[in-house]
Amino acid sequence: MTRVTVDPITRIEGHLRIDVEVDQGKINKAWASSTMFRGIERILLGRDPREAWLFTQRFCGVCTTVHALASVRAVEDALNLPIPINAQYIRNLILIAHALHDHIVHFYHLSALDWVDVTQVLKADPAKASSIAESLSDWPNNSTKEMAAVKTKVKGLVDSGQLGPFAHGYWGHPAMKLPPEVNLIAVAHYLQALEYQRYANQVVGMLGGKTPHIQNVAVGGVQNAINIDSVATLNVDRLYQMKSLLDKVVSFVQNVYVPDVCAVAGFYPDWFSYGSGVTNYLSVPDLPLDEGSTKYDLPGGFIPNGDLSKFHPITGQKDPYWRKAVTEDSEHAWYKSGGPLHPWKGETDPEFTDWKEDGKYSWVKAPRFEGQAAQVGPLANVLAGYASGNPLMVKWTDAALGKISAIAKVKATPAMLHSTLGRHGARAVRTAVLSELAVKHWQLLTDNIVKGDSAIFNQPEFPKGEIEGVGFHEAPRGTLSHWVVIDNGAIKNYQAVVPTTWNASPRDGKGTSGPYEASLLGNPIADAAHPLEVLRTVHSFDPCMACAVHTFDPQGNNVAKVKVL
Amino acid sequence: MKTAIYGIGNILMGDDGIGPAVVAYLESNFPLNSDVTLEDLGTPSLDLPNYMTGYDRVIFIDAIAADDPPGTIRLYSRDEIVATPPGIRVSPHEPTINDALIVLDFAGSAPKDVVLVGIVPQTLEGGMTLSPAVAGAVPRAAAAVMREVGKRYAA
Repeated sequence: MTRVTVDPITRIEGHLRIDVEVDQGKINKAWASSTMFRGIERILLGRDPREAWLFTQRFCGVCTTVHALASVRAVEDALNLPIPINAQYIRNLILIAHALHDHIVHFYHLSALDWVDVTQVLKADPAKASSIAESLSDWPNNSTKEMAAVKTKVKGLVDSGQLGPFAHGYWGHPAMKLPPEVNLIAVAHYLQALEYQRYANQVVGMLGGKTPHIQNVAVGGVQNAINIDSVATLNVDRLYQMKSLLDKVVSFVQNVYVPDVCAVAGFYPDWFSYGSGVTNYLSVPDLPLDEGSTKYDLPGGFIPNGDLSKFHPITGQKDPYWRKAVTEDSEHAWYKSGGPLHPWKGETDPEFTDWKEDGKYSWVKAPRFEGQAAQVGPLANVLAGYASGNPLMVKWTDAALGKISAIAKVKATPAMLHSTLGRHGARAVRTAVLSELAVKHWQLLTDNIVKGDSAIFNQPEFPKGEIEGVGFHEAPRGTLSHWVVIDNGAIKNYQAVVPTTWNASPRDGKGTSGPYEASLLGNPIADAAHPLEVLRTVHSFDPCMACAVHTFDPQGNNVAKVKVL
Repeated sequence: MKTAIYGIGNILMGDDGIGPAVVAYLESNFPLNSDVTLEDLGTPSLDLPNYMTGYDRVIFIDAIAADDPPGTIRLYSRDEIVATPPGIRVSPHEPTINDALIVLDFAGSAPKDVVLVGIVPQTLEGGMTLSPAVAGAVPRAAAAVMREVGKRYAA
């Protein structure tokens, strides 16, 4: 029996440690552990709730906007404060643009190297690569000339003796299966993705005032002055600049990202049978369509045991089903254990032991929904959309499954989505849905402004005494919730339950594993010294550990170490 | 010639906030030409290439891991940044500046002129104040940044 430790596993914001036990080429035990603690929420205690978002957007460098918006939503929820519809649309556009950017980057720049062997590009025929790419979509940048230029670039890199941005990849690994031409297409699109994700980020900057730290949010609305004729404000010119950026991103997502994910999936059909893990799925509704946040464009809810017929929708932040269901358990986390606690009562008292496989072994607490482990992320969101019959989710899911079936020459079904590849596929589906909603919400905002409505802000007023609120957001990595207790206008408690905490959860008091741990069981390991398969499954969740536990490595060690014990 | 000056680091994590602190100091003490961008980038991770594209030169200010006493300032050239194995960084905001440069070099859109003004931190524990040795280094680090800006204008 071999024990493999991968520490840390993310190429960005590391500090996630995975231990797996391998027996006869398969994983039979797994532990997900976060190795660093920082109680960042404590910085908020006693502060003015109207300013909390300025601090929370510093929780994580990847998801600044996400934490800013969850924070103002939490305070508005505590105050029962609706916000003007312009403010909803502006926030929605920021969230959509951020997600488009983030999902594109995840596939091409973070996880593609788990599937793409860059060295194989040298064997590719550019003309053949071009004709394969052109059979997948109408994207204009798939010419033989384009493919040949990329092949030359890669050759230059290989000849220089270094692999540049691809040096971290497991190239030449026996688990790599793509034909040379598909590897070439992937590298060509890697370079194009670098450009197109930037357009999405520019939209965040145009609405947010700045990136990465947006300036335009306020408890009660936004601070984007609107005047269709004034150059200094959100006007017709700026709206159309934004539209042209969004149109480019929409085209890239639908003509490049979605077909690429389907193609990669089609060549790795085995990976539809690995990595399901925890099949309780949690997502929350998002993209509110009215001032009081009672109607949403994207559905969310809870699916137990992967059974879509048992889908239980969450109707909004006020839904008592949602408000009561979330707890955090620290039986196997390095905190003083008590029973599972609701976030409004959450405690963060460290109790460090060493890494103990049967005891405490992580700085991540174990969040539970109605006492059960739950997987969050695009897959949970897409399944909620599919189960509730959301037309866009159904349309894009069916389209992706159709494309995969054609390439893999096996029938791809929604049941296959409970897997490592299913998470990649669902992320592409969600991105396609968001690309359509980007255009829709741009139109909603533009129509409303042109109609003459320029309201952006409702003044918050804080009552005497104690109030509680929760702000949620279906973030790129899944369900995010900020829980705030306000006493006489000052923050008394603040807990952020972030997506990666759900997925990287350690075992709970009942011994139930979290999604990462459960999803690794049964995964094949071709070469224990190079556990590419572990990376495939864990990366499919899009982990963001610094975000999950707000941790920190004083050694600055960002080398993915693989130790075979 | 477009120049960018970027502070990197997390203001919630003690001395990791040194980059943003130097940016704030520059903002209030030095008038900069309109072709110079000055920004606190926080912990930008994979977004970093986005902020480097389109600039001829970029000056970074960041906490570094080195054996020198807290508050020590060290400058790293572009070649050193690309050649230095991971380890000059101390914070969770990987990928590092060198990763971003390597990606942009491959894409063919990297700035030619890059320098890192690094400051050795004392503590990286949660909190919004800099330790005295590191706070004392802020004006010196700002001066080092301005020297780099000036040098490049002279050239």
